[in-house]
Amino acid sequence: MRKFIYTLFIFILILQSCDDIFDYSPYQVDFEERNMNEKNISKIVSSTDLGDTLKIAFTGDSHRFYDEWVSFVNTVNKEDDIDFIIHIGDFTDYGLPIQYEWGYNIMAELEKPYLVAIGNHDLVANGPECYNLMFGAFNFSFIIGEIKFIFLNTNSREYAFNGKVPDLGWYENELIPDSTFNKAIIVAHVSPSDADFDSKLKDEFREITLKYNNVLTYIHGHTHHFEIYNIDNFDIDFINIYGVEHMKATILKITSNGYEAENIDI
Amino acid sequence: MKLKTLIFKIILIFFLGLIPIGVYANNRDSTFSFKATLLLPDYVKLQYAGGIGFISPGLGYTFLKHRLDITLFYGYIPSFLSSDDLHSISLQFTGKIFKFSLKKDIDVLPLNIGFFLHHNFGEEYWVTLPSHYPENYYWWSPGRMGGIFIGGEIRTKLLAHYTPASGLAFYFRVGSRGLYLTSAWDNSEIQFTDILELGFGIALYR
Repeated sequence: MRKFIYTLFIFILILQSCDDIFDYSPYQVDFEERNMNEKNISKIVSSTDLGDTLKIAFTGDSHRFYDEWVSFVNTVNKEDDIDFIIHIGDFTDYGLPIQYEWGYNIMAELEKPYLVAIGNHDLVANGPECYNLMFGAFNFSFIIGEIKFIFLNTNSREYAFNGKVPDLGWYENELIPDSTFNKAIIVAHVSPSDADFDSKLKDEFREITLKYNNVLTYIHGHTHHFEIYNIDNFDIDFINIYGVEHMKATILKITSNGYEAENIDI
Repeated sequence: MKLKTLIFKIILIFFLGLIPIGVYANNRDSTFSFKATLLLPDYVKLQYAGGIGFISPGLGYTFLKHRLDITLFYGYIPSFLSSDDLHSISLQFTGKIFKFSLKKDIDVLPLNIGFFLHHNFGEEYWVTLPSHYPENYYWWSPGRMGGIFIGGEIRTKLLAHYTPASGLAFYFRVGSRGLYLTSAWDNSEIQFTDILELGFGIALYR
């Protein structure tokens, strides 16, 4: 019996090493790539070529548009002076680990560092676990020059509107002025004007956003089209980013005085 | 981690234990009643990979003179293979198109085709769209998937001469599932091999 157990154990070890060729489950998560946002932030922050103007390329809502997504990567690699790239969320379509891997492999071809915001599709099934391992925290921030980038999880519907998403306590804390930054840019997947944003939190969210008079703009995706617009009583610009299937990418140039948005064909 | 590994071992031993039960139930001298033997599965299977678990025990019945198998698998992924352990069941329908004898006691079934339904357990793997979503917000169910496969089988009389089992079969299968096929659809970027699920296993017939 002991011999049998040893044989079985060795057999299991051999099978375990065949992991790459044989699939065990669509929900198996065994990523080798971890905490990409944190790793890329340290690359961005330590990069010495950051000039007075920041040039950021945006895409998002890539879902299953893999070929279009590859075009985006190829085009951005040819653009001059891009400092970094932001994917505005819906990195996956079904939230499947394999889709996280496919997306990762496409983004790995970028010559500049990239960051990924969390989208509602990325939170389906065990997507939260996948995002958390591959990219890290759902809410995070970093400062370049005098600008603070605040990535906020605004996918309230995925949490059944439990009143905790977006995390307003964390959000306000990030906006409280200090000597490290002057202006803040909010990056999120869902706009506060969307039905997927928790309507109970909308007023308080607006108050916090305007409270310190330091938010430059709110950049989001989710509806796949491009638009710079205003929401009633919000005194800031909202920028909606194209879904990658439109074969357009948005390049944002940010200076200490403001920003300029331009769409390019991919 | 340790507890989960232990649970995995217990489950594995439990299903391995079904094999001798199935075998001896077919013995004429056994104390099982006629009714009990009728309900007993025609075979037990142990499948490696194939997208339905790490090493998945299964049991099932054959129909249409061994041309159709219906197997229920229990799939488990211990947490040393994934970020969290996973439990699922799958129902696999296998049609056996051709059969020929290679030599005495060895049959070859070169073309088995089939489909499967795979149900994952856990709150996040819902089957019907939860009520906080508008209708058709997501078109698929993360908790229940379907797929197709193709494979082959070699059926032997191994174990048949000195146990009550009628034979031992070795099979392999290669398949894919709806969510993978739709991902690869119209995308040259996704390689065909990326969406395939390979698996193999053994079947012990009574």
